[in-house]
Amino acid sequence: MTGFLQATIYGLLQGGLLALVAVGFSLVWGVMNVVNLSHGAFVVLGAYLGWQLNSSLGLDPFLGMIVVALILFCIGYAVQRFLINLVVNGPIFITLLLTFGLELLLVQGMNIVFTANYQSITTSYAGNAIVLGGIQVPLGRLLAFLLAVGITVALVKVMANTRVGMSIMATGMDRGAARLMGIRARHVYALTFGIATALAGMAGTMVGTVGTFNPAAAGGFTLLSFVIAVLGGLGNMYGAMVGGLLMGLVQAWGGYYLSGTWVNALAFLVLVIVLMFRPSGLVGKAFYSARLEV
Amino acid sequence: MAAVIPAPWRRWLPWALGVLGVLAALGLQTQLYSGQVRTVATIFMFVALALSWNLIGGYTGYASFGQVVFFGLGGYFAAVTMTHLHWSFWLALPLAGLAAAAYAALIGVPLLRLRGHYFAIATLGVAEGTREIVINLDGLTGGGGGITVPTVGAAAATKYLGNDGFYLVYLVLAVLALLVTGLVSRSKFGFAMRAIHQDEDAAAAVGINTTRTKVLTYALSGLLTGLVGATYAFQQVTIYPERLFDVEITVLMVVMVVIGGSGTVLGPIIGAVALQFLSEWLRQNYTTVHTLLLGAIIIIAVVLLPQGLVNYLREARRNRDYSLLANVRRYRL
Repeated sequence: MTGFLQATIYGLLQGGLLALVAVGFSLVWGVMNVVNLSHGAFVVLGAYLGWQLNSSLGLDPFLGMIVVALILFCIGYAVQRFLINLVVNGPIFITLLLTFGLELLLVQGMNIVFTANYQSITTSYAGNAIVLGGIQVPLGRLLAFLLAVGITVALVKVMANTRVGMSIMATGMDRGAARLMGIRARHVYALTFGIATALAGMAGTMVGTVGTFNPAAAGGFTLLSFVIAVLGGLGNMYGAMVGGLLMGLVQAWGGYYLSGTWVNALAFLVLVIVLMFRPSGLVGKAFYSARLEV
Repeated sequence: MAAVIPAPWRRWLPWALGVLGVLAALGLQTQLYSGQVRTVATIFMFVALALSWNLIGGYTGYASFGQVVFFGLGGYFAAVTMTHLHWSFWLALPLAGLAAAAYAALIGVPLLRLRGHYFAIATLGVAEGTREIVINLDGLTGGGGGITVPTVGAAAATKYLGNDGFYLVYLVLAVLALLVTGLVSRSKFGFAMRAIHQDEDAAAAVGINTTRTKVLTYALSGLLTGLVGATYAFQQVTIYPERLFDVEITVLMVVMVVIGGSGTVLGPIIGAVALQFLSEWLRQNYTTVHTLLLGAIIIIAVVLLPQGLVNYLREARRNRDYSLLANVRRYRL
C-alpha cells in the first residue's frame, strides 16, 4: 500500500511538471492550429539556459527561471513574427515541417554549443525529502509541482481577465472577426508563441532541477506535449493540467505494476482510446477539434 | 484549358521516360564503386518510401505521421520469420508487405475516422505503441538488444545479397511504387482519393465510398512501405526497434513529398533524390553541422516553395508568373 501511495504521489508531482511542459504547446495549437514540433527543443533550451545561469552566475534555478522566461519570450516572439507567420495559413504538413526544421536547427545548435552530455542543475536543497507517514516527497519536485500549478493557474487568469488574454482567445476562436475588431493577428500570434516558449523554458529549467537532460531529449518532450494536449483537449486552459496529471499517474502506476517498458505502450494506448471515443479531449471544447483550418 | 483527351504522345511519354530511367539506373550501377552503390540504393529506398507516403498523405490528404510503423513491422516480420522459421528472403518479403497492409487496414478502420492533426497524432501514437510492443516481445524480436538475421552458413536460407543485390531490389521496389502511383493517379480510384482530399463530405455526397477508399489507400501505402522495411532489415542484418521505428524516417518521407510536390507522381521522386543527395553531400563535407544545415534548408524550402517544386512549376507555367515572392505571400498571415 505504501508503494502504491508513493507511486501516486510521485505520479502527481511528475504530472504537474509535465502539465507545465505541455501547456504552451496546447496554447499554440488551440489558438493558431499549429502543432509545434520544436516545442521540446525550447524546453531543453530553457533547461540549458537555466543551467548556464546557475553554473556561471550562481543564480538559483527557481529565480533564474524568470530570466530564462524573458529570453525565451523574445526568441519565441521573433520566431513566430518573422518565420511561422509566413506559412501559418498553409496546409498542416507545412507548419509541421517548418517547426520540424526549426527543431533540427535548435537541437543541433545545442549539441554544438553545450555538447551531447547529460547535464543537471544541482541545488543544495532539491535533493532533500519530506517524509510523511513513510512516503517520501522530494523537496525539489514538490517546489516544481507547486510552481507549475501556480503558473498554469496564473495563465488561466491572464487569459480570462486581461485585454491581451482576451484578444488571444478571440483570435483563436475566429481570426477574421478578431481582425475586424482591430486586433492585430500577427502581433497576437507572435505574443502567443512567445508566451508558449517562455512557459516551455520555465518548465525546462525545472526539469533540469529535478532530473537530467541533453539535447536529444527534445523529441521526447514534444511527443509528451502532444499526448497531454490531446488527452486534456484544446480550448480549455486547464486541459493541459488534466492531461499532464493523468499522464503522470499512468506512467507512475504503469511503472509500479508493469515490467519492462510496457508503461510507454500504455501511455499511447490511453492516447488512442481517448482519440477514438472523445476526440475533443477530457475537458476540451469540441469546436477546436472539429475545425480543420483556422 | 488542357485537352480533355490527352494527345497520344502524352500517354506513352511517361512510360518511355520510366524505361529510360530504369536503364539509366542499371547503367549507373556499373560505373559506381561499392560505397556509392550503397548510397544510391538508399536514394532508391527513399524514392519508394516517399511514393508510398504520397498515396495516403499526398493524394488522400491524410497526414500519416506514423508511417514508419509499416516500415518497422515489415522489417521485423522479415527478420523474425527468416531467423526463427528459416524462411527464404523471397518468401518473407512479399508476406512482410502483406502483413504491413493487413495491419494498415486493421488500424485504418478506426483511425481514418479522425481528421487533420488528430489523425496525424493517432498514427504517431500507434507507431510508438507498436515499437514498445516489439521491444517487450523480446522472446520473438530480441527486444531492445535487436535481432540478427542469419546471412551466412547453414542457418541462412538466403545468402546476403551484397551491395549490388540490394541496389537491384530497391530499384525494383521504387519502380513498383512508381507504377502503382502512376496507375492509381489516372484511375477512378485516384480521382476518389483526390476528391476526399479536397472535400470529404462532398466526395461522400457524390457516391464515393470514402471509408473503403481511405482504408484501401492506407493498406496499399502500408504494403509498399512494408516491402521496403523488409528489404532494409535484411540489408542491415542486425536491426533494433529504435532504428526501425524511428520517427525521423516518417519525417523524411513527409519532407521529401512536400518539397517535391505532394499529390503528384514526379514530386516525391524529385524530393527524395534531391534531399537524400543533399543530405549525403552535407554529411561528407560539413560533418559537424550537417543536420543544422539540413534543418535550415527545410525551413527555407518550406517558406519559399510551400506547395512543392512540381506544383509550383505547374502553377507558374499556367499563370506565367515565376516570382517566388508572390509564392511566399500565399500562406502568409
